[in-house]
Amino acid sequence: MAVPEINLDICTGCGDCVEFCPSGTVTLVNGKACIVRPEDCNYCSDCETFCPPKAIRCPFEIILVENGQTGEVNG
Amino acid sequence: MSSSTDFLASLPYFSMLGPEEIERIAGETLDRSYARGEVLFLEGEPCHGLYVVKSGSVRVFKSSPEGREQVLLIARQGDSFNDVPVFDGGSNPASASALESSVVHIIPVDTMLSMLADCPAARAIINLFATRLRHLTTVIEDLSFRSVVSRLAKMLLSLAVVQGGASPVPRLTQDEMANIIGSVRDVVGRALRTLERAGAIKLEGQRIMVIDPEKLREMT
Repeated sequence: MAVPEINLDICTGCGDCVEFCPSGTVTLVNGKACIVRPEDCNYCSDCETFCPPKAIRCPFEIILVENGQTGEVNG
Repeated sequence: MSSSTDFLASLPYFSMLGPEEIERIAGETLDRSYARGEVLFLEGEPCHGLYVVKSGSVRVFKSSPEGREQVLLIARQGDSFNDVPVFDGGSNPASASALESSVVHIIPVDTMLSMLADCPAARAIINLFATRLRHLTTVIEDLSFRSVVSRLAKMLLSLAVVQGGASPVPRLTQDEMANIIGSVRDVVGRALRTLERAGAIKLEGQRIMVIDPEKLREMT
């Protein structure tokens, strides 16, 4: 399960991501954003949207599915 | 020197050439007259050469399948147009019609390329510039004529690769997608859901799965 990428060098610890995360996945640890419950993250990207210094990224992989197969070896 | 030779000598394209070379080019140049509204050439047709307005004015434009138009250039006396296909070897990237009664010089492709015969490096560089200019013309076309959903569908089609294949799977945030197609992230988010509802893609966590490329193509 992929989770948002947090650049701790940029994170200011403002807590907006914690406030806006609908699944309670993010919290502040030592004054920096941290994904503490990755299994609950639904990758909605709200944390990326509301992060003022743009410290959080939610990149999407763009995958071509051929004949119902993604090309992955293990699903 | 004839008036045509003087005119050609005054153009930026030929400013570095000597009188003999200008005479040769003038001898190979065609003159054509067009009435107001008459079409000089159409997008997609083979390129006949570089056009230079001798008198009058010419509109260079792109057309959408629905008949909408985007003007790229109003060429007036001394202005050249249709430069791109001369140097990249492709078809005309846009159409042209006379805005008023006009006379144009048409300098054949081979004549233009003959100026670069002694310098293949310059030919390669100009070919690259022309290719990039053609791409920018396509960007203008997309921004003018296509909806965000259509532009996003086109972008996903061009980027999607099979996982584990020769090319790495591209990774883009919604902001980055918006920057590529000239939109904003909220609109991109809605457009992704539109494509998903249509059955062209499937959003699965951090993955955008192109599950029906034909459907996606229909939506471009």
